[in-house]
Amino acid sequence: MSEPLLSVSDLETQFHTDAGTVFAVDGVSFDVDHGETVAIVGESGSGKTVTSESITSILDTPPGEIVGGTITFDGMDLTTLSETALQDVRGKRISHIFQNPQNGLNPVYTVGRQIGEAIRIHDHGDPEVPVQRQVVDLLDKTGIPEASARVDDYPHEFSGGMKQRVLIAMALACDPDLLIADEPTTALDVTIQGQILRLLEDLQAEHDMGIIFVTHDLGVVSEIADRVVVMYAGKVMETGTVEDIFRNPSHPYTRALMDCLPGRGGSMDRIEGSLPDVTDPPAGCRFSPRCEHATEACRSGDQPPLWGVDNGDTHEASCVYYDAEHDEGELAGGEGATGGHQ
Amino acid sequence: MKWYIVKRVLWTFVVMWIALTLTFGLLVASPDTGQTKSVMSCSASGGDAQQCREQYRERQNLDKPITERYVNYVTNMATLNWGWSESRSQSVMAAISEAWPYTAQYAIPVLVVSTILGYGLGLYSAYKPYTKADYLGSFVGFFGISIPNFWFALVLIILLGTHFEFISTYYQSGIPINQGWASMANITQLLIPSFVLLTASLAWQMRYSRAQAIEQMNQEFVKVAKAKGASQWRLMIHHVFRMAAVPLTTSFVSSLLAIFWSGSVIIEQIFSIPGLGLMTFTAITEQDTTLVLATTMITVFLAIIGNLIEDVSYTILDPRIDYGDR
Ligand SMILES: Nc1ncnc2c1ncn2[C@@H]1O[C@H](COP(=O)(O)OP(=O)(O)OP(=O)(O)O)[C@@H](O)[C@H]1O
Ligand SMILES: [Mg+2]
Repeated sequence: MSEPLLSVSDLETQFHTDAGTVFAVDGVSFDVDHGETVAIVGESGSGKTVTSESITSILDTPPGEIVGGTITFDGMDLTTLSETALQDVRGKRISHIFQNPQNGLNPVYTVGRQIGEAIRIHDHGDPEVPVQRQVVDLLDKTGIPEASARVDDYPHEFSGGMKQRVLIAMALACDPDLLIADEPTTALDVTIQGQILRLLEDLQAEHDMGIIFVTHDLGVVSEIADRVVVMYAGKVMETGTVEDIFRNPSHPYTRALMDCLPGRGGSMDRIEGSLPDVTDPPAGCRFSPRCEHATEACRSGDQPPLWGVDNGDTHEASCVYYDAEHDEGELAGGEGATGGHQ
Repeated sequence: MKWYIVKRVLWTFVVMWIALTLTFGLLVASPDTGQTKSVMSCSASGGDAQQCREQYRERQNLDKPITERYVNYVTNMATLNWGWSESRSQSVMAAISEAWPYTAQYAIPVLVVSTILGYGLGLYSAYKPYTKADYLGSFVGFFGISIPNFWFALVLIILLGTHFEFISTYYQSGIPINQGWASMANITQLLIPSFVLLTASLAWQMRYSRAQAIEQMNQEFVKVAKAKGASQWRLMIHHVFRMAAVPLTTSFVSSLLAIFWSGSVIIEQIFSIPGLGLMTFTAITEQDTTLVLATTMITVFLAIIGNLIEDVSYTILDPRIDYGDR
């Protein structure tokens, strides 16, 4: 197998605050291939944004600091790159789109100028073609009607959905290899959400981009993801292909998330309890205080390693029940415990 | 936008007219101390009190009907015919034109330097918040804001005046006349007063621009710009400062007023600079109503014009401001 496009390994990102050190991301690993969509899911505060912003170091440092791990992209370890080298990667090789399109554009410049800024910074595109022309093409491609008339408009003259399209156009301006989309549809209404998702899929196919799609909406995940990383309190709880995760959710946390999904026969509308304090995380499995299956073994030591589920090589869960040595019986109460599903 | 600016300028004239009318009302309603004084000095030099009063009333046009006086007053003010200063025995305009260069010679450089330096330092400490440079900036800033000008001036006079004899601690108004405004002697004698005024104004602009810049730095669009590969410099100047410049115009106008009004009154009093500030101060202590009124009008007009500049620059700097139908 060839090298993955991006390989995050054991990433640790912390925030140094007056209240103590926040272990926002604590040993997270995952890969993204060319043309593949990897979804990162988890409750609010589980560290999804911090993970995605660590990749190109766009988080605020200080207070944030990447204290460990490697992020390998095209043979480079992004965690060791200089600021200027990172600037060459940002926007050119790896782009971001964010959750809130309302504030994503600088209100005092026209949208055309802001998209053009990305092209100019990286000297991208055919020097023969005027930047303005390239910008109009980009706006066209992202589905802005009458692009050539709108290019000189200011952001406040666009609706939320249109702003997100502008931001997508900006992210794609230099034809990146990887697009990191942090809840790009959360702030939009449902019909617009669908349109944006389809737009991303089309653009992905056209450019063979890898996409990291951050969301807490499992419905969206089932629509667009190839693989899923389930995060909780700065740790990866479970990873696998979409089929693995949806047909055989294995970690109690993933199951709890699934139970919150409407229309899947779930009984909960939210998981009992709340996220642990990541300044002082609990011993053992981070989810153990809220887990109905937790035993003594779950509440001591470290977060369990990612054990293979069903002997598959794509599906792993960080739960003691999947440890081959584990002898306290099967994970109670759930369909689809170790090997027991279908 | 042109139409908006035209409307805004016309509105400025309306506001000035309202201000004039109000001061006229105040003038009519308040007891005329000038009259008592003038009559007293006139009769002391042997005139008949009744005659003296009539002379004075005639000179000040007090014998005319109020409508005529009002029309006269407004036309006079509009044509820069601002009346007679009893305490200085010269026309108010002559007094002002004598005094203003003394104020402008230090106030304008201080305004320019404090704005450029203040914004620069404010932006820099926003760029590196909670570092030593930032703490130093904050310390100097709070020092400048909290130390009263008059106290700081006195300390400097005592310290520098006694140890460095070449620095004059009071202002000799003959120097600019005899040696020129830009002469070395004039510049050195302005150093301490300018420095004192600068500390307060600079500190203020620094704190304000730092706060504005930090607010803008936390905006999502700065993160977006960073994510597309913008350099630190580009982020700070092109995005943060450009956005912060909008509210900063407000601080520029208030600095202008603070320097001309409160700053210059104190500084000129301490260093005996015969500028607008000292003129205001003596006009008040000598109860020279016409002159006090004139200095008040200058401040009011500065404020109104400052406001105009502020509004117009807002519409130029911020495309979101809707100037279409106001
Ligand atoms: N600048 C910061 N300073 C201190 N703590 C921070 C900072 N940014 C994030 N954190 C902490 O890091 C943890 C993870 O935050 P993160 O924003 O990654 O969550 P998330 O999974 O993206 O949640 P959401 O779904 O709400 O976006 C949280 O506990 C948060 O409080
Ligand atoms: Mg987030």
